[in-house]
Amino acid sequence: MQHLVFDFFKLCGLKPLEIRKGVWQVKVDDALMKELDGWRSQGRLLQFTFDQRSAEIYGADLICPGSYRLNSILQVIRKQGILSHAHIPLHHFHEPSIRKKILAKSGSTGRAYVVSCSLQFAQYLQLELLAEARGLQKKESIHTVVVDLSTGSIFKYAFPFHLLEPGGAAQHKVRPRKCSYKQAFINAAAYLHELFAQQDQGWAKEAQEKLAMEEGKLHEFFKGRLGSEEYEIKKKELHKRLAPALRINALRGAILFVPLFRYGLVVVSPGGKETSRLISYDPIGNMYLPELD
Amino acid sequence: MSQFFPGFAKNQIKIESLDLLQETPSPNCTVEVLATGFKRIIGDLRQKRFDTWDWYSLARRADELMITQQQTTELLAIEYLKERWKQAGVVPYPHQLETARRVIFDMQGQAILADEVGLGKTIEAGLILKEYLLRGLVKKVLILTPANLLWQWYHELYEKFDITPGIQRTEWDWNFSDILIASLDTAKREPHASQILDIPYDLLIIDEAHKLKNSSTVGYRFVNAVQKKYCLMLTATPIQNDLKELYNLIGLIKPGQLGSYRSFKSRFIKDKRTPKNPQELRELLGQVMVRNRRDEKTVQFTERIVHPVVVSLTPKEQELYNRVTRFVRERGRRSGLQNILPLITLQREVCSTFLATALTLEKMMESIEQDQQMEAAELLKDLADVKQNSKCDALERLIGELGDNKIIIFTEYKASQEYIRYRLEKAGYSTLAFDGTLSRGKKQWIRHLFQNQGQILVSTESGGEGLNFQFCSVIVNFDLPWNPMRLEQRIGRVHRLGQSRDVHIFNLITKDTIEEHIIYLLHQKINMFETIIGELDAILLHLNLGKSFESEIMEIFLAHEEQEKIRERLDQFGDRFIKGQAEVRTAKWELF
Repeated sequence: MQHLVFDFFKLCGLKPLEIRKGVWQVKVDDALMKELDGWRSQGRLLQFTFDQRSAEIYGADLICPGSYRLNSILQVIRKQGILSHAHIPLHHFHEPSIRKKILAKSGSTGRAYVVSCSLQFAQYLQLELLAEARGLQKKESIHTVVVDLSTGSIFKYAFPFHLLEPGGAAQHKVRPRKCSYKQAFINAAAYLHELFAQQDQGWAKEAQEKLAMEEGKLHEFFKGRLGSEEYEIKKKELHKRLAPALRINALRGAILFVPLFRYGLVVVSPGGKETSRLISYDPIGNMYLPELD
Repeated sequence: MSQFFPGFAKNQIKIESLDLLQETPSPNCTVEVLATGFKRIIGDLRQKRFDTWDWYSLARRADELMITQQQTTELLAIEYLKERWKQAGVVPYPHQLETARRVIFDMQGQAILADEVGLGKTIEAGLILKEYLLRGLVKKVLILTPANLLWQWYHELYEKFDITPGIQRTEWDWNFSDILIASLDTAKREPHASQILDIPYDLLIIDEAHKLKNSSTVGYRFVNAVQKKYCLMLTATPIQNDLKELYNLIGLIKPGQLGSYRSFKSRFIKDKRTPKNPQELRELLGQVMVRNRRDEKTVQFTERIVHPVVVSLTPKEQELYNRVTRFVRERGRRSGLQNILPLITLQREVCSTFLATALTLEKMMESIEQDQQMEAAELLKDLADVKQNSKCDALERLIGELGDNKIIIFTEYKASQEYIRYRLEKAGYSTLAFDGTLSRGKKQWIRHLFQNQGQILVSTESGGEGLNFQFCSVIVNFDLPWNPMRLEQRIGRVHRLGQSRDVHIFNLITKDTIEEHIIYLLHQKINMFETIIGELDAILLHLNLGKSFESEIMEIFLAHEEQEKIRERLDQFGDRFIKGQAEVRTAKWELF
């Protein structure tokens, strides 16, 4: 939490100064103050601390879980970074090894030669999905799902996020995607749905039981008027309140660019027949991609 | 949305439901994939609006932290509002926090908050609302209150919960404001009602919900038809006359909780005021109703100490009082109790200051008959000539005796307020004025000045509504309102949750005037200053007077000239009140 607060000020170009032990002060301008505290606020010296006692003694804003100041900072941060992009630089990969791997695969029934070699970038869509399991209570969780935009499939292995560097890739080097963003999102949601289905469903069961009980009471109350509009409305309200539901929403997304090694090959069959092939290799997904039409 | 994503059904895509609960007959769970967040991402993508990777990463960490915070089963609002409560001097009581927890975690937001008066039902409702807002469970909220409480709700929500609701003014407001406060009487009328019924509300809050006890009223049917996910109903008197009222109220928030009316009647009603199986009924009520009572476990109120200050009028003042009274009686007899309101005002003003009386009389001159005009003109002239005011003399002496205590002086009339200030300033006291004409900002400012610098605040009642002055513990009633409800509102500004000292109430009563009768009724007969705190609204509602309290008194006063007769009639009226009080008290039926 403390790192997050300091990183926030750093990204805003501000440097908090520790004026007393555990109490920091930072000069916040009008614009940021309005973002933090509403349109009536004006720029001021903002003092903050993470310690309850210091907050009481020095009157500094307390930053702790649930506090107003932490929430106001979180709200501002969460409005940012809706969309971003990053790439994995080429230097993380050893091209001769990849070439060797490609040749080994293509020449499994004969021999293969590399006649041309180029570089492209594959696109992945990284989505931060908020899943709300709404039963008798609401339970929220955040999931990062990466979708390969070449195929629309979910990247199920650990994505090497540590290799990512800010920024995108040159447009002409980007391999056109085969999957629409919308489809990628739907696939990601379906994947999350599957994940939930494999987990403990106690929350849904509990809600179903409560719903059934309440429906019974409602049924008794409306006995003789079960076809009435009022009954239907009340039943709908009951379902809205108690029926278990999994709600998935996207919070933010990023386009990730991954180097794609593209080779023009000549493959010689055991009979001596030569054929030309183009093949692209995605080292992150460990996939051989066919050429696009 | 559909243009943007032709394949998306309205706002969301429904995915085939999963077999979630394999052991139950209806094992499905709805999966909703919302397009809202994704639409934002796509919007940025189309415009190639990429944020830096650092902001993106920080935002992801903020998301995680936010979610972690929200997983707690503790109330988020407590920590969130800590600073605000410190500034506003709010200290939530344990019973209020517990109520909010119960409503949110055990009752799924469907509850009747039936605390006894003065225990802070509004704070409980505000806390629940704030908690739901922080947890992202409600967005569209409608608060229905009696018209005179609109601003009070606004202030409570804004000052104590950092919520800025709208107050309904026009028919466009229903859709415009996410959190809207409106009068129930307005809301149930067309064209408003049909608009409201089209809106699915996340939370509906109804203050003074006992007004919906009768299921055949328009108000009841309207509230029943409002689409709502969560519903809070606030009332101190969930039952007034009949157990059916309770059944009706519960039917609004959770129909079926008490079964059908027939089964409820056979299981739980012995007669309309006596429950059968009270233990079982109590358990069922406990699932939808929270009732905190005034005891050691909730909160202890300080004492109210009443000091009558009897003021003798000078012979000249007494003579003028008698002449005004005669004039009022004469007018009352002629008009046959029609248009009685100006006469009530005049009779009350003459016990306050002659300045206020003169101003009203001057206004009345235009509408009175020729033969009375002469008398009125003479009266007006004599009223203007009086230079002395014995009540103000007594007030000055009283203030001198009270030392440095902060004092609120209440009067009903603006003219009296100005005169009191003139006299006190002349005597060397600095005063602040508070009245209904001040803007909200000015009222807050005056309150701030009074709290930090001033000693004396001279207030008309309208000015006092919606603001609390717990930091002061001395009230002077310069004149007495005839309606006990108004008197209670005055005292309630000071004697409420948060008051740590006993409250001293000084009543200035002019001898040999109608005020003596009023104080007899309110203080000696029904002892409203000390013993019926919090029950008054219920008693008045129960009495069902048919006309205002003031009109009842005025009728008695106009009908009789002999003091004994007036006293006798007031006694009868007081007895009715006491009987009503007893009935309201027994109506609690040990159910809660």
